[in-house]
Amino acid sequence: MSKQSVNSKIVEQVHRRRFLKTTLSATSAAVMAPTIIPSSALGRDGAAAPSERIVMGGIGIGNRGTYDLSCFLPQPDVQFVAICDIKEKRRLAVKKIADEKYGNSNCEMYRDFRDLLDRSDIDAVLIATGPNWHATAAMNAAKAGKDMYCEKPVTKNIAQSLILAETMSRTGRVFQAGTQRRNLPHFAFACELARTGKLGKLKKVYAHPAGMQAMMSGWLPAEPEPDKEVVDWDMYLGPAAWRPFNEKLLDGFNFEKGGGLVGGGVLEWGSHCVDLCQWAVDDCLPPVEYDPPKDGQLVARYENGVELIFRETGWIPLGSCPVRFEGETGWVEAGDSGKLVLSSPELLAGRAVEEIGGYPATFHVRDFLDCVKSRSLTKGNAVAACNAHIACHAANIALHLDRQVKYDNVKHEFIDDQQANRLRSEALREPWRL
Amino acid sequence: MPSTQFVNRVAVLTVALIFTAVSSIRAAESSSQSADIETQLLATLRSDAPPAEKAITCKRLAIHGSSAAVPELARLLPDEQLSSWARIALEAIPGEAADEALRNATDSIQGRLLVGMINSIGVRRDAKAVARLTAFLQDKDAEVASAAAVALGRIGNSDAVQALRQSLAAKSDDVRSAVAEGCILCAERLLGEGKSGEAAKLYDEVRKAKVPQQRNIEATRGAILARGPEGIPLLLELLRSSDKKLFQLALGTAREFPGSKVDQALADELAKAKPERAALIVEAMADRTDTVVLAAVLKAAGEGPKQARAAAIAALARVGDASCLSALLGIALESDKDLADLAKSTLAELPGKEVDAKIIALLPDASGEVYPLLLETVGQRRIDAKDTLLKALSHADKSVRGAALAALGETVDLDGLSVLVSQVVAPKFPEDASVAHQALKAASIRMPDREACAAELTAALEKTSSAPTKATLLQILGDVGGANALAAIGAAAKSSDPELQDLSSRLLGKWMTADAAPVLLGLANELQEEKYQVRAIRGYIRIVRQFNLPEQQRAEMCRKAFEASRRPAEQKMVLEVLERYPNAANLKLAGEAIQAPELREEAIQAAIAIAQKVSEKGGNEKELLSQVGLSPVELKIVKAEYGAGTTQKDVTATLRTQAKDLPVIALASTSYNASFGGDPLPGTAKILRIQYQINGKPGEASFPENALIILPMPE
Repeated sequence: MSKQSVNSKIVEQVHRRRFLKTTLSATSAAVMAPTIIPSSALGRDGAAAPSERIVMGGIGIGNRGTYDLSCFLPQPDVQFVAICDIKEKRRLAVKKIADEKYGNSNCEMYRDFRDLLDRSDIDAVLIATGPNWHATAAMNAAKAGKDMYCEKPVTKNIAQSLILAETMSRTGRVFQAGTQRRNLPHFAFACELARTGKLGKLKKVYAHPAGMQAMMSGWLPAEPEPDKEVVDWDMYLGPAAWRPFNEKLLDGFNFEKGGGLVGGGVLEWGSHCVDLCQWAVDDCLPPVEYDPPKDGQLVARYENGVELIFRETGWIPLGSCPVRFEGETGWVEAGDSGKLVLSSPELLAGRAVEEIGGYPATFHVRDFLDCVKSRSLTKGNAVAACNAHIACHAANIALHLDRQVKYDNVKHEFIDDQQANRLRSEALREPWRL
Repeated sequence: MPSTQFVNRVAVLTVALIFTAVSSIRAAESSSQSADIETQLLATLRSDAPPAEKAITCKRLAIHGSSAAVPELARLLPDEQLSSWARIALEAIPGEAADEALRNATDSIQGRLLVGMINSIGVRRDAKAVARLTAFLQDKDAEVASAAAVALGRIGNSDAVQALRQSLAAKSDDVRSAVAEGCILCAERLLGEGKSGEAAKLYDEVRKAKVPQQRNIEATRGAILARGPEGIPLLLELLRSSDKKLFQLALGTAREFPGSKVDQALADELAKAKPERAALIVEAMADRTDTVVLAAVLKAAGEGPKQARAAAIAALARVGDASCLSALLGIALESDKDLADLAKSTLAELPGKEVDAKIIALLPDASGEVYPLLLETVGQRRIDAKDTLLKALSHADKSVRGAALAALGETVDLDGLSVLVSQVVAPKFPEDASVAHQALKAASIRMPDREACAAELTAALEKTSSAPTKATLLQILGDVGGANALAAIGAAAKSSDPELQDLSSRLLGKWMTADAAPVLLGLANELQEEKYQVRAIRGYIRIVRQFNLPEQQRAEMCRKAFEASRRPAEQKMVLEVLERYPNAANLKLAGEAIQAPELREEAIQAAIAIAQKVSEKGGNEKELLSQVGLSPVELKIVKAEYGAGTTQKDVTATLRTQAKDLPVIALASTSYNASFGGDPLPGTAKILRIQYQINGKPGEASFPENALIILPMPE
């Protein structure tokens, strides 16, 4: 590799880090997405030097995981070497993708992710199982010394959220939740306006939890269980309580989504849009009070009085996952179209915000890989994910119990509400633990 | 910077959470109501109800169960299917009875189920189980011994610590690793409680044990943080390590390290580090924004290997101040474009008001390439220096004028807007036109009073006779938005100049507020040329479809859109909107559309969909459909075939299933192939033929592939 190409790469990485760390200071003229390194700048046919390469494996790669993988594979410093899935079909499909990418047959397949985690050559993993497995797989990966990009919702309850933050800190692991909107310029800009007082004193932040309902998981009639090599039902159940095989439950997206007694859109979408609201309030501790839903919205309050409002209607049509932040002097709304609407154009202050629609994860993936090298905090780090998920779980508990609940952020318990407190955690099926 | 305090707090509170989850009994909720529920749930557990029912009952007992439920739940613990469900309840039910049940279960249960019991004991932090768990550390089943080690770590009292310490030399690698995990959990707890000396001792014991590298990493991190400033030498040792994982641990731990003593140590280390590591150390230093040694970062920005310089230049954007200005201006003019561009970006962001004052002070005497650089920085930092910028507009050097124009675009207020308008309408230097356009746009879209801004732009629009200038001003008006801009663009949409008409209609078609609706409807009714009429009505339909509107207003707008549409294509778009917002008014309009032969299919489809959705909210679907002329009939499917030529698939059964009491049949999918279980003749156009009876009269009809099935009434 020529000296110039090395240096160009370094500078481009620095440019990216600038975006990721500062996003938009008070004076920056344009808010752009971080640059992706062109392979031509790297020499060696675009491959990274072995010492800079991040060796990766995938755990549970279905539809979403395959998309995530398509963001990882083009990164020149990634070498994807192993796939673990409980479904043979998926193992083979991902191996084919990886082997075609590298022109070899080196991608190893595993049915049990612990075998993949045992490999000392693997630095990081992509976890894109169903939500049932996210936290347990993440905790196992951390204890095995792997950094991880983990899809959302990351946790099934409040206890898991807290243990996630504690474990990532204790093990010194780099963690990125799949909250890719944190690395998109227009959402970042909207949050920055709220966080830095440009909207005046912040009053309300709005999240859009499409499908706001409490759900119960269950047990469907038994069907003949496939061969373990085809579908490993025991591993699929993993930490979830036992139930017989039923093909309908094989859609990980809908299996134990909310962690038992509660779930639904508050967690599924909230892990994105509540997460953005949390960013807008400077990633502070979650709200302390959650009202039951009324007139199509659920209102929660932070300790400083700012309201976090879960609502499904009343948005400017800016695409899915809209958020709105209101201060005393202005407001901003942003959605997946990549567009922003502001109460006053003055809020732009001369800046051009790059419009990236369709919520791509490429920049979020790059943020993760850079942090694996620098050991800095990712945008979707474990503490941020912990707080956002607690807000979602607590709202879900208010929804499920249909009454106001008050949450103590010091003791991490609901005040004078035994039923709500019992919903903070749930036993894992043997032999799994966090 | 990641907050060590936060992380430690989380660590401590996690334990607290788990403890209080099972030990605090508060009777806020109506306890008698919960007791009644518990009685019913226990009856289910005692019955011969199927396992599925008992499983969900366990989950409900997690909320409503008390000590009274414990014996029934304990009976399920040896059951391979229901054990985990029972533990969901037992982990959540407060009180000694649940602890005792789990402890007792460990006497008789083996293997994986036993591991589950031990895990639950750990979650409940049952101190009375320490002796039992200590015994399990010696279990020949490594999974059992490992579970016991982690459970002891979660309990974390002195007896547990002692038991774990003694097992750090266990024979099994797996068990040793779990024991180390237990020790580290205990050490974290001690550290959180302020017992840093005891914590450090325990961390050190793990570091000395033969444990996997990851356990060693966790213990080493703890050993550094527990020692405070005395941990710095160990941190530096890792920073110099040839082991990549230890170096990475140092980078992470350096960010967590409390106090400011570590910052000078990092600065010293930076000077000695290899280039590839120096850049990473700079990043770690700059993440410690409150205590970073700025002089060291500034020095690294100015000299040394390029990669460390780049990292340091970028870091100054977060941690620099006015003292860095001179150095950054110098770097921004270096021949290395990469570093120069980085320095320019940092100049735009360099924190502190003093920076602005210094830049203003430098402007009067600036010359050469420093002058446009300073002007550019004025704009990027939005420093108020209007007089200087206006003066620079007459400068002979194009780059100076360009920088001044761009800076004016970023800084002028409404009073200064006229300067930029005149630069667009009558530029002194024609080659500056493009920059002037961008500057006027930048200024216009950030004006707080956009109506006043639009009025000024409109006045300029009316005065100029240049078509390109008019187009420029219209585009900017489109970006500004608001009532004045809307009126100006609406008027231009009726212009006799086709280019202006084209541009204006495009701008209106993507207007972001609903007040464009009347303007678009007016154009749709007035304009004669089809291209612009269609664009106007489609723009109007877009607002009806996408914007947040009161229900009645939207229904009225749907009707107006339907009436103003001159082609079936747009009328069908309105029908889609009707379907999206189902109500009585929209059903009526869909019913009217059924009368138009070219809309019949889509209108019936919309009417059925609306009626279904309205009936879900309490209406009677049949009555609703009768109102639009879709009365119930007695429909019988005699025979139905799908295919082409001699290849025909009998789909009678499917159609009979889907047929209801309307002469319209909605299939499971809009695709015939999907609805009929596959494509009988791939690659060939197929026909669906149906023989049927309506009200006893025979009929026959054929439908091209995927058409809506509307059966003609037999004669």
